Amino acid sequence: MNFKLTIGWLYPSLMSTYGDRGNVIVIEKRCQWREIETHLTRIEIDTTNRELESCDLILGGGAQDRQQEMAVSDLLKRKNVLKEMFDRGIPGLFVCGSPQLLGHYYVTGEGKKLPGLGIFDYVTQHFGNDKPRCIGNTIGKIDSKFEIRNSKFKNTIVGFENHGGRTYLGKDCVPFAQVIKGYGNNGEDKTEGAVYKNVIACYYHGPFLSKNPHVADWLIKTALELKYKKEIELDPLDDELEWKAHEEILNRMNMK
Amino acid sequence: MIIFLKVMGYVLRFFHLGSGATWPGEVFLEFYHRPLVYFIPKFKEGIIFVAGTNGKTTTTSMIVSLLEKSEGGKIVTNDTGANLLNGVISACINAYSWSGNTDFDWGVFEVDENSLPSVLMNVQCSMPNEKKIVLILLNLFRDQLDRYGEVDAIARKWEKALRMLPSHAQLILNADDPQIAYFGKSVKLKTHYFGINQKENYLKIKDHAIDSAYCPNCWNSLTYEGIYFSHLGIWRCDKCGFKRPPVANINIKSHLPGLYSLYNLYAAYLAGAAAGISKEDTEKTLSDFKPAFGRQEEVEIDRKKVKIFLSKNPAGFNASIRAVLDLKPKAILLVLNDRIPDGRDVSWIYDVDFEIVPPIVSVICSGDRVYDMVVRMKYAIKHWNNETMKQLMVEEKLSDALKRGLSMLNKRETLYVLPTYSAMLETRKILTGKKIL
Repeated sequence: MNFKLTIGWLYPSLMSTYGDRGNVIVIEKRCQWREIETHLTRIEIDTTNRELESCDLILGGGAQDRQQEMAVSDLLKRKNVLKEMFDRGIPGLFVCGSPQLLGHYYVTGEGKKLPGLGIFDYVTQHFGNDKPRCIGNTIGKIDSKFEIRNSKFKNTIVGFENHGGRTYLGKDCVPFAQVIKGYGNNGEDKTEGAVYKNVIACYYHGPFLSKNPHVADWLIKTALELKYKKEIELDPLDDELEWKAHEEILNRMNMK
Repeated sequence: MIIFLKVMGYVLRFFHLGSGATWPGEVFLEFYHRPLVYFIPKFKEGIIFVAGTNGKTTTTSMIVSLLEKSEGGKIVTNDTGANLLNGVISACINAYSWSGNTDFDWGVFEVDENSLPSVLMNVQCSMPNEKKIVLILLNLFRDQLDRYGEVDAIARKWEKALRMLPSHAQLILNADDPQIAYFGKSVKLKTHYFGINQKENYLKIKDHAIDSAYCPNCWNSLTYEGIYFSHLGIWRCDKCGFKRPPVANINIKSHLPGLYSLYNLYAAYLAGAAAGISKEDTEKTLSDFKPAFGRQEEVEIDRKKVKIFLSKNPAGFNASIRAVLDLKPKAILLVLNDRIPDGRDVSWIYDVDFEIVPPIVSVICSGDRVYDMVVRMKYAIKHWNNETMKQLMVEEKLSDALKRGLSMLNKRETLYVLPTYSAMLETRKILTGKKIL
């Protein structure tokens, strides 16, 4: 059977600040290598909700302040559509600044309170542009929910974080990972990101999936299974280079 | 005091105790709130500053050679690439003669994006009318987000700083960069624009790493008649009517490869004009110009050549790749480091369009983050399989990578090295020390 996935990329012209398109490239290539056909839908301000609803997987990246405001005001109009998709089980990955759009609100460095989509039960506060940012290589521990057959699993994720805002999870909100090295959501409670149904939000920067092929495969498999309503086994791939890049970060931070 | 600091710089350099290029300035900063104010009266003719993400070092050295050849006076410049305020001050201290005499004609300084506001603050109240002050702004691209922050944020800081310049200051702006051209509108100073008028060089496919596709005046999206690279091109806003301003007509013949070299040449040309150098002298000096180290520098080894194209951010990397591919390379070496001067975050390599490298070019990856680099290349190759993967090579050690690259060449062929900043220094050290061969 020929599988096909439609990848929805949220606001590539507004929200692709620092290598975020890496995640799109990784998903596309890992599908292509398995002969899964992909179609990329760029969700911009003039894209219809019908096109958005046709996506099987949603990816979002970071934006500069001004562009983020433009994206949020459009996204708020689509709130119900997105919420319904995520409740149905459509998987998603939001990295860099985009998780801030999905919570209840975000207070900017200037003290401006911007409403979020309220899909995730968390709030984000930036305590002022003079406060230190959370910057550096980071490692987290994820649980076996993300383990799938035919794809090597490691319970670590690695990447780079760079954020001024601090995010605080509500009491029923599930974190994506436990911080091993780095700051995570707020530098205090050792949580990193959050998961809602099949949607991952995390502060990892840019091309997160390039060094975390296990998470990439989990997203692909989840999207396919929801679309084709059956269990699907992905073909195995040679990920030696990806895992070497992953281990390089573990080694540097004395984790191996 | 100056002589003491000058001695200190020598001692530091002699014993390799930290950087003699910045420490004297650092100490001076402890004593003076606006330290440059102390030196400004010493420049008889004036000061020229060069800022922008890419091309600062090359443009600065072009202007220095123009002034040296045509005016013959004494020029102070921070040619070691120390471009923060402490580097500018240190260059001034080092230029003092041992007797404490100052006989400077011009100061020509490249200034780091983040340091520009603090450097200009010094100029604000201390620049007498009869002395020239010229500020060249080349471009603004995304670069080291962990250090510089976002492009828009830098542009806002610059605008504030430009407003404080004395009214006789002159701006030389890149008209093809909307964000830079906007300063000519928002800041009321005498402004000269440079830009490229070559329809035949419009890009056929847009670069991915676009930073200013929005109108800096009204935030509508911009329409481009053509793009040269990244967001530089012939642009206009259909909503508010703001558009790329007309540019100076410049004709220079140059052997520097890459369209981006023209921007540096044009900026230097206008700086020469602002400094009062004749058109003929300017054209002659600039067409003979040899690049600054690490920027298209060539080293010959065993009758083979190594050519270095510093590639430190997406726009620079895209420009380097295009320039290198035009030269029909057999092998290229990509060296990715993540030390402080490179930026700790290597995410930006996904904003570089490595997809345009054709399968016949061998690609060797090296550097501190060699596996990040090779993974990026793996995902850029159109059809990844056992056959195509032979195009890609991994060498953890840079000296091994250079050796391997050279071993693939015949005599007189060239290995093209595209390194980040610290990797460029390392490459030069290996090649000039000829340690590997």
